[in-house]
Amino acid sequence: MARMRYLKIWVGGAILSLLLVCGLAAPFLTPYDPQEQRLEHRLRPPSLGGQGFGPHWLGTDNLGRDILSRIIYGSRISLLVGATTVVLAGFMGCFLGALAGYFGDLTDEVISKISEIFLAFPFLLLAIALMAFLGQGLLNLILALMLTRWVQYCRVVRGEVLSLKERDFVVAARALGGRDFYILFRHVVPNTLASVTVIATFAMAIVIIAEASLSFLGLGVPPSIPTWGSMLSEGRSYMYRAPWLTIFPGIAIFVTVFGINLLGDGLRDILDPKLRGQR
Amino acid sequence: MAREKSAMNRRQFLKQSAAFGLGSLMAPAFARQVYAASKDRVAVLHSVSADSLNPYAHSASPTYGIWQHILEPLVEVDYAKKEFYGVLAESWEFQGKKWVFRLKKGIRFHNGAAFTSKDVIFSINRMKTDKASLQRSNFRDVVEMQAPDDHTVIIATKTPSAVFLDRLHNRFMISKAAADKYGDQMDQHAIGTGPYRFVSWQRDGNLVLTRNDDYWGPKPEIKEVVYRKVGEEAGRVAGLLAGQGDVINNVPVDEIPRLESHPRVRVEKVAGLRMYFLAMNCTLKPFDNKLVRQAVNYCIDPQAIIKYIYDGNGYMVDGPVPSHVIGYDPNLKRYPNDPKKARELLAKAGFSNGVEVKLYFSPDRYPKAREICQVIADQLLKGGIKTEPVSQEFVIFWGKDGVNGGKLPFYYVGRPFVDTDTFYDQYFHSGVTKRIGYSNAEFDRLMKEQQSTGDQKKRVALLQEAGRIVMEDAPFVPLYNLAEVYGVARNVIWKARPDEKILVWDMKIRS
Repeated sequence: MARMRYLKIWVGGAILSLLLVCGLAAPFLTPYDPQEQRLEHRLRPPSLGGQGFGPHWLGTDNLGRDILSRIIYGSRISLLVGATTVVLAGFMGCFLGALAGYFGDLTDEVISKISEIFLAFPFLLLAIALMAFLGQGLLNLILALMLTRWVQYCRVVRGEVLSLKERDFVVAARALGGRDFYILFRHVVPNTLASVTVIATFAMAIVIIAEASLSFLGLGVPPSIPTWGSMLSEGRSYMYRAPWLTIFPGIAIFVTVFGINLLGDGLRDILDPKLRGQR
Repeated sequence: MAREKSAMNRRQFLKQSAAFGLGSLMAPAFARQVYAASKDRVAVLHSVSADSLNPYAHSASPTYGIWQHILEPLVEVDYAKKEFYGVLAESWEFQGKKWVFRLKKGIRFHNGAAFTSKDVIFSINRMKTDKASLQRSNFRDVVEMQAPDDHTVIIATKTPSAVFLDRLHNRFMISKAAADKYGDQMDQHAIGTGPYRFVSWQRDGNLVLTRNDDYWGPKPEIKEVVYRKVGEEAGRVAGLLAGQGDVINNVPVDEIPRLESHPRVRVEKVAGLRMYFLAMNCTLKPFDNKLVRQAVNYCIDPQAIIKYIYDGNGYMVDGPVPSHVIGYDPNLKRYPNDPKKARELLAKAGFSNGVEVKLYFSPDRYPKAREICQVIADQLLKGGIKTEPVSQEFVIFWGKDGVNGGKLPFYYVGRPFVDTDTFYDQYFHSGVTKRIGYSNAEFDRLMKEQQSTGDQKKRVALLQEAGRIVMEDAPFVPLYNLAEVYGVARNVIWKARPDEKILVWDMKIRS
């Protein structure tokens, strides 16, 4: 069992690291400029070269751009949006959740009601509405996704804090004269980090899919930046004639989300207190 | 234990989702029977729809085609002969500063009221004064309208207007009696004289029409018409193949082979009247500089777009207007494709480090606009113009904050026309629309003179002279005309028109 658990973390971590390397070193890894159009070579199937043009391992798209290069560059947007959103939403959600759980009463009421309002909307619908309101752009995309993702952190952290604040070590800290904020962020919040890490990994997978969905709908980043979602969207009308336009970005999204989920699963197995006894 | 149980559940969940997914994939196969085209009903899946029930709050050719089922114009164009014929008008006469129209007798509106000269005057007045009207500019020269009797209308213009019939093209007549009865609510009833009556309408949903059995003209064969807005190309194709619609417009060229090989569907092609071009607003930076506008012209190569993006289903415009229109000048050519020359011009204009612009487009409105604009951006880059394509919803793109408000500096657009005057007047004649902000006194003089010249040969010569000015000033980049491609159910007998109108009364169903 234990080996299986670490296998998940290893495989998930390997996939994520590979993507990270791809994103960071994109300019050195890509065989072509992802924006370079060569119309005369459009819709070439995947090939290793020859016939008067260079190797396009994953083929070329509707404007003759190299699909491999675009996927590598696209990983930048996916990871950037995924990581930033998860971290920002994490900070926001943990902070509010901790306040709500620790202070209770009115603070709890207000924060819980606000989070319930956000929960009442389907996640993607809320993101679409926010994007339509804010307009296209990378920062707006991150903001919209963050505003839809913080609630989950908030609720989990609030629940954990509720139980943690009654524990002996908190009572002891208070008896020693610790002030509320000191106790909260020094003793209580660090104890919630295990659950938060698990939420964060799963949230990252969801955010990456959401980014692709919004780009697919034309609500993500402007057309000049390659993303997996917009590649799917542009390739969609060529589904029958040139399926590789949609298959490869689809695989990229799938593998990424699969890797992150594996990692999250593995982390949960180790960190989740309910499963601890089975180790 | 708890853990094992949850694993089981997950497996079950996966099984069920797989079954559900498979089921939804197969759904269209079953749906085909349900939606099979009937003899009485035709469903058109259209890229646009009537965005409101105000018949004058738009100015887009396919939308005219939808309205024309309910409302009728005085005149319509015969595209084969390039001349006008009367619909509600019996005959007309050009008398210098006056146009005299005699109306057909015995025509009734859907509400039973007789169609008279008062309705014509009421309709034109509304087009001129309704705040939401986008058809106002057609009547800016009209100073007075008179109705000496029920079937005669005299329209007086400031200056002699030889092109007035063209202004009346697509101007539909509504009922004064309905306006008296319903007041502000009249649009909700959509009463006209047309071969179809209005049944219901939802924004971005269905527009349902039913046959007008009291129609004055030849009766249509199809009883019910449904126009459904499906903005996505792939959505229209899938809808047609699944039998949810009988006719679709703007079929992407990549889908032509697939539609042709389908047992239920055929492809209908015709050379379109719509000329595509890039418009540059001369009042906005950096396009207020003529050298920049000329540089843009030198960068663009429409042949590459036609060949690679449209698989050859297009015709390059060599000059300011295409060769099939009135007013074409065989001696006036377009700017050659020369990015080096473009860089020189930019340097001369003070942009030796290049210039950055945004190119606006509406992806649902014009076929492959998204790809085209990326190709254009690439062509411009070679001439030192860094371009970012920006996609907008058509309502926003075309509205008061977009093209028609004069807010977009640079955009991709198409305009159908048979007479060069229609295009020049709307885009380049000072003060007519805000679309392009171009103003040139000599050009305006030629346009005015041409519009009052009854002699067609002289008029064409004047249009050609105006063409030379507008080519030199370069507020636009002419691109191409495309083949209009429709997908049609095989049992629907119908011939496509070059003007993008899908007129259901022209259709018959093969039994």
